[in-house]
Amino acid sequence: MKKQLLIASVALAFVLAACGTPDNGSGFEQEKINVYTRDTSSGTRDGFMKGIGFGEASSDDSVLVSGFITNNNAAIMTAMTTDIAGIGYVSLSSVNNTIKPLKFEGVDATEANVLNNTYGLKRPFVWMRRVDGDFASDVERDLTLAFIGFMESNDGADVINDAGATAVNGTGNWADLVSSYPVCALDNSSVTLNFGGSDSITKVAEALSAAFSPRCGNVVTVNNHTGSSDGYKRSQGDEKDGINGMHIGYSSRPFTDAEKVGPETTRGQLAWDAIVAIVHKSNPVDNVTGDQLTRIYKGELATWGDVIND
Amino acid sequence: MGSKSLSRVDRITYFLLTIVGLISASFIVFISIFIALKGVLPFLTDNLGLGSVSLFKFLTQTVWLNGPTFVSTAYGAGFLIVNTLYIAFLSLLISFPIGVLTALFIAKIAPKKIAGILRTIIELLSAIPSIVYGLVGVGFFLPIIYSLARSLGYSSSGGSGTLATVFVLALMSIPTITSISEVSIRSVDQSIEHASLALGATFTQTRFKITLLAAKSGIFSGAILAIGRSLGEATAVSLVAGNARSGPTFGLFDITSTITSTMLTGLKETQGIDYDIRFSLGIVLMVVILLTNMILNYIKKKVGNVHA
Repeated sequence: MKKQLLIASVALAFVLAACGTPDNGSGFEQEKINVYTRDTSSGTRDGFMKGIGFGEASSDDSVLVSGFITNNNAAIMTAMTTDIAGIGYVSLSSVNNTIKPLKFEGVDATEANVLNNTYGLKRPFVWMRRVDGDFASDVERDLTLAFIGFMESNDGADVINDAGATAVNGTGNWADLVSSYPVCALDNSSVTLNFGGSDSITKVAEALSAAFSPRCGNVVTVNNHTGSSDGYKRSQGDEKDGINGMHIGYSSRPFTDAEKVGPETTRGQLAWDAIVAIVHKSNPVDNVTGDQLTRIYKGELATWGDVIND
Repeated sequence: MGSKSLSRVDRITYFLLTIVGLISASFIVFISIFIALKGVLPFLTDNLGLGSVSLFKFLTQTVWLNGPTFVSTAYGAGFLIVNTLYIAFLSLLISFPIGVLTALFIAKIAPKKIAGILRTIIELLSAIPSIVYGLVGVGFFLPIIYSLARSLGYSSSGGSGTLATVFVLALMSIPTITSISEVSIRSVDQSIEHASLALGATFTQTRFKITLLAAKSGIFSGAILAIGRSLGEATAVSLVAGNARSGPTFGLFDITSTITSTMLTGLKETQGIDYDIRFSLGIVLMVVILLTNMILNYIKKKVGNVHA
């Protein structure tokens, strides 16, 4: 019995000793910044890290400040409602009044500022289709055009917004537009449309495919997302006629000049993916710059005082 | 009895039961082989040109991944093993006394009606899915732990960390311990309790020194099952642990991570080596659980079976 008591008390002492040293200051400026991040497979993390100019952190945990917390979107939101010293980031679509969104480089994170191009912490979701003479059949071409029509309709915009991005188009209701695409009145269940490109756009793209199919003769859709550079390569570039060739390729960055070879009508933007740095509501900080965020995530700005006095 | 048709029914039943038994047993074999085959790949292949993962470093390193995901193979799970065992031990420290005392109350002290109600509640608790316990952890424990840490002058990460994980796991394992302990306490031979009382021991002395001691084998089985549940729980843990990427973590308010929570984080979005390595973690987890169970069963054999 004595021995067990000894073991238990040693364990207890161990636990108490490991509790860590409390910090001495009382004011907010002394608060250590608790850094929250998504895990390395997250597209939001990729967009955020590249957006603030800390691209190497998009897939590398070891360059981040020690003691950072990895969690999903919902958990980061919840944490910011309790942790007064925390900072995290979420998609603009997740922002609500339980947390405080920070301005980025002085600009409020609102849908309007995203669409008028003043809010900077964002990246474009763009698409590129095969050029006109390049389809295996007229039906495939008509279906591709119908898909683009759907993507740019109000219904498509709803799908995009529901999937977490900010749609840039909204040309009318699909119910009114569908008559311009007679191919959708046919049974298309034997035709397959192939999509691919950027993997951070997967969720939006798959939601669009799933919503489009029943609205256009049950056309079969296949989404195979491998990376932004394949968006061009497999729709208009040198892989377009290989086994990975596709009808529409997505990219989560603007197309480069080298990629803009086809006619302008064969590409466009469907959405913005805006990301917002968020903190606790009681946090006095209102605005951050990309450089500050980079230094916070690196650990160079360790307390909130460092940020306020920066 | 003895008629030919009945013995044929017997034989058919025997045959069918054998088949069913073989099927369920083969699942375990199938799962083990599947996890093992997938899990050893990162160590044996060069992972599509990235180089193989070092088994020794994997078992001893204190950082989950050094370098960029999908490029680096410097995975380490040593700290996860320590964290997982530490958390399971702490949660048992809470759930064991509460669970056993509740069982004693239900089995021996509570009036029949209240005992019945409590028994139903405990059964309901053990049927609650782990994700619900996780949500309770996020919505209830995290804010409390955060304010507790703050009142002690410590800035915790929104309450996430060891203590929150321990509480959630303890809450989850109490019903397991209680229901198994209760059965074994009730089945203690009443004659030895009567003998104790007749010798002048009080009810309290009898319950703690005679009843609990006589039931300790069953109580221990409950603890073993509870430990198993703590070691293997993923969903609830990953919601409240904070998912640290290095460690080990011993501070109660510091963020932590377990083998299971690391397997789960990002699982749905990742691919390649970063996906395969989670199967390797699966092997580690199975070995940890197997070893823990073997050690606990050994201890159980040593300390149990004092009273007939």
